[in-house]
Amino acid sequence: MAAGASRDTRALSAGLAGLALCLLLVCGLSIAVGSRSIDFSVVVDALGGHAQNSTEQTVVNDIRVPRTLLGLLVGAALGLSGALLQGVTRNPLADPSIMGLSAGAAAFVVLGISVLDIRDLGGYVWLAFAGTAVAAVLVYGVASFGREGATPIKLALAGAAVAAGLWSVTTGVVMTDVDALDQIRFWQVGSLAGRNMPVLEQVAPFLAIGIVLALVCGRALNGIALGDSTARALGQRVEATRALILVAVTVLCGAATAACGPIVFVGLVVPHVARAICGPDYRWILPYCLLLAPAIFLVCDVLGRIVLAPGELEVGVVMGVLGAPFFIALVRYRNLAEL
Amino acid sequence: MSAPNGNGRRRHELRAEDLALGYGSHEVLAEVDLEIPDGRVTAVIGANACGKSTLLRGLARLLRPRAGAVYLDGKRIHRMKTLDVAAELGLLPQSPNAPDGITVSDLVGRGRYPHQGWLRQWSAGDEAAVAAALEATGTAELAGRRVQELSGGQRQRVWVAMALAQETDLLLLDEPTTFLDINHQIELLDLLSDLNRRSGKTIVIVLHDLNMACRYADHIVAMKDGRIFVEGPPREVVDAASVSAVFGVDCEVIPDPVSGAPLVVPRSRHHAPVEEGVTGSRAVSSRG
Amino acid sequence: MTGGVTTLRTAPVGASIRTLRLHRRRSRFALTALLGALAFALFVITLTVGSSSIPVTDVLASLFGLESNEGVDFIVHDLRLPIAGAALCVGLALGIAGTLFQQLLNNPLAAPEFVGISAGASLAAVSGIVLFAWSGIEISLAALAGAFAAAILIYALAWRGGISGYRLILIGIGLTELMLALVTYLIARAQIYDAREATHWLTGSIGQSGADELRALIVVLLLLSPLALLLNRSLRTLQLGDDAARGLGARVETARLGLLAIAVALVAFATAVAGPIAFVALVAGPIAHRILGPTQSSILAAGFVGASIVLVADLIAQQVLPVALPTGVVTGAVGAPYLLWVLVTLNRQGRGG
Repeated sequence: MAAGASRDTRALSAGLAGLALCLLLVCGLSIAVGSRSIDFSVVVDALGGHAQNSTEQTVVNDIRVPRTLLGLLVGAALGLSGALLQGVTRNPLADPSIMGLSAGAAAFVVLGISVLDIRDLGGYVWLAFAGTAVAAVLVYGVASFGREGATPIKLALAGAAVAAGLWSVTTGVVMTDVDALDQIRFWQVGSLAGRNMPVLEQVAPFLAIGIVLALVCGRALNGIALGDSTARALGQRVEATRALILVAVTVLCGAATAACGPIVFVGLVVPHVARAICGPDYRWILPYCLLLAPAIFLVCDVLGRIVLAPGELEVGVVMGVLGAPFFIALVRYRNLAEL
Repeated sequence: MSAPNGNGRRRHELRAEDLALGYGSHEVLAEVDLEIPDGRVTAVIGANACGKSTLLRGLARLLRPRAGAVYLDGKRIHRMKTLDVAAELGLLPQSPNAPDGITVSDLVGRGRYPHQGWLRQWSAGDEAAVAAALEATGTAELAGRRVQELSGGQRQRVWVAMALAQETDLLLLDEPTTFLDINHQIELLDLLSDLNRRSGKTIVIVLHDLNMACRYADHIVAMKDGRIFVEGPPREVVDAASVSAVFGVDCEVIPDPVSGAPLVVPRSRHHAPVEEGVTGSRAVSSRG
Repeated sequence: MTGGVTTLRTAPVGASIRTLRLHRRRSRFALTALLGALAFALFVITLTVGSSSIPVTDVLASLFGLESNEGVDFIVHDLRLPIAGAALCVGLALGIAGTLFQQLLNNPLAAPEFVGISAGASLAAVSGIVLFAWSGIEISLAALAGAFAAAILIYALAWRGGISGYRLILIGIGLTELMLALVTYLIARAQIYDAREATHWLTGSIGQSGADELRALIVVLLLLSPLALLLNRSLRTLQLGDDAARGLGARVETARLGLLAIAVALVAFATAVAGPIAFVALVAGPIAHRILGPTQSSILAAGFVGASIVLVADLIAQQVLPVALPTGVVTGAVGAPYLLWVLVTLNRQGRGG
């Protein structure tokens, strides 16, 4: 029995290492590929700081590298927050956008643009946080009334309801304020384009804190997955854990949405892939999400850069288009609807 | 135990021939030949996942057979119109769903669906049937109450009343006693016996409780692994060997002191007589 | 127990059931009529207000052709009646469709905007506006086509030997996300005036389409509402669960498909007229349910409630607010808190999911 367990652990560790390697490659891809084609050797030179063409040096160092790093952090944040949400709600369909969190962030951001005239990303970050938190509290609070607590279907519908309501608010504002519309419509697509060093510096601390918080919660999530009473019987402090996890989710989603706008499906789909690989143990699922999500995210971003070159297709759209069939297959074939 | 074979009611024939049923790619029943005795109470028993509910659902036309057919009065049940079937066969499924806030008389009234049409919505005959159904199940005084407020036993009786209001000669019930406590179980089974004896209804019931089946049924159908293992009157069919084969449990079968039907007394690791005359807690168990 | 004794015993029970039933039918009729009167009253009020307010008696006279006053007639018939009529019809259609969805999918939170139909209409309409510079009737036709296409797609994807309400809703939510992602993309890519027009259409407003769309909606309403009422029996039988319904002789999949088709058609044509107006379809059913009492046939009542909501929202949006806003903004702002309250109270009784 012990030998088998360590074999599993070894296999999973090997998998993780392989994934890390893949991620490295994808990062390389993200730095090397873009709407402007730059030779690989030039890229390497630029990274070292001595490329001959200064434009290309700028492109690589000031545009692509920050963008890649941001993609890493945001992808990881979204994947982890999805896994956390799914674990804490015991709902395989939880995801920041289905739960209405992205809509909350968007509504607050647009209100900030219109009412408080906030235009810089720093302000967006705090607004997005507040919006995410408000939406999270609303959705979870409303869905958990009743004997059964927050069942998957109630959460999904409460999330859809809150999202729709907040979207109404958002549209109401942009209809009266054309300038706000012009600002927010680009932000709402969800993109890594145009995000460079200052943006990265602004959100990186939050994302880092959130990621650390999330990774610490693995064991606690395993307990919660068994049900509240069982978890308590095992000695776990369920309320405290839940609060901590929700804080982590808010920080992660808030910062990610603030930086890139609302991105759908990453948080939903990646935890399922991770679970398919490593089973229901959150101590493994979380590290896998940490590596898998940014890999998928950056791949989609690169795809978006290639597909419409010299223009660009935003990563939010690519993920939406590719993610939906996956989600639908999930609902159809995993009989999740019965949960 | 036998039902009066008259009352002016028609004889009905419900049988399965070489029936195979399944869900998706998974086959549950194969090569089942069964004739339901007319005017009797038939109990379908077996271990979990042996196919007893599937068999009932196949007989009730809820499942399309993969092979073979179910015949009602000589006609293939799947070729008949749904309403024609509903006029002869009533069903109480396993987890019926009562709409929010519905009252007892409303729910029982829904049982009149096959007798109503687009133009003929509600008639005196319908009301009489509903009233009779409520009377027969002893739920008349609950008529105005909401179903969701009733106890489990009362609710099951109301569902039976709905099936009764359909005024069919055959009644199929899928595990109606599963979540009831013992007095409600007996209440319900007594009611079904009444219906069988007074009005000669043919009753087919899936039961998980072997002893209740022995006591109330005229005919037992024991299923194992998707096939009929044995069928017949309880006294002939239920003995230690067949119980062991169907349920995998070692037992003694003695006559029930109350009804005379076979009573299955299971043996277990902790309760096995080592020698004749030594029973219960004084038995020596091999493991603590 | 002989037959004679049974008849004697059942007579008083039968009588009490009959009185119960008649009493409830009468109260249901009265309440529905009351709701209808309310909708009509709001309709008339909408005709009286505006840049010049016309007294109620004149409006009624003009409506029913009792007096002929050219000035009043012009204002009432040519200017205001199209708007008020559109509000009335859109509200009726959305209310009826909403309660049909909720009863078919057995969930009080099922609504076309979640199930993906509105998203399909939106995607088609916005594509038309942004990509093809369509306007007027072309956008409405696109919305119509988009709604039907989305409905068919979702139904097909949710079909797995039958339709489960949960599966339909969840797949609908998934597809909605996809379609809305594409909509956001299109709006971001568009010229700012196209973007504004698209956003305006998306919010939903009564006056945004012409007489042809309204006429189509009226025809559809007149044809399909009676059909829905006739199918009401099947609907109520479906509520008992698929197995019990089949046991009673209902043709489950056919009935469900038919009723869904009616609901989809009503939503599609209403969306073609006014865009995806939020929340009306969602809340009309529960409100009617609450007024009429549970399990009463509430299709017509829900229609009237829907009509009242849209008429009131339009009044507020056009007349009361300092800045004229699209109707959809008001319904959203009013509907969202109501919806959350419904969720809370329903969930407290354990009925929300």
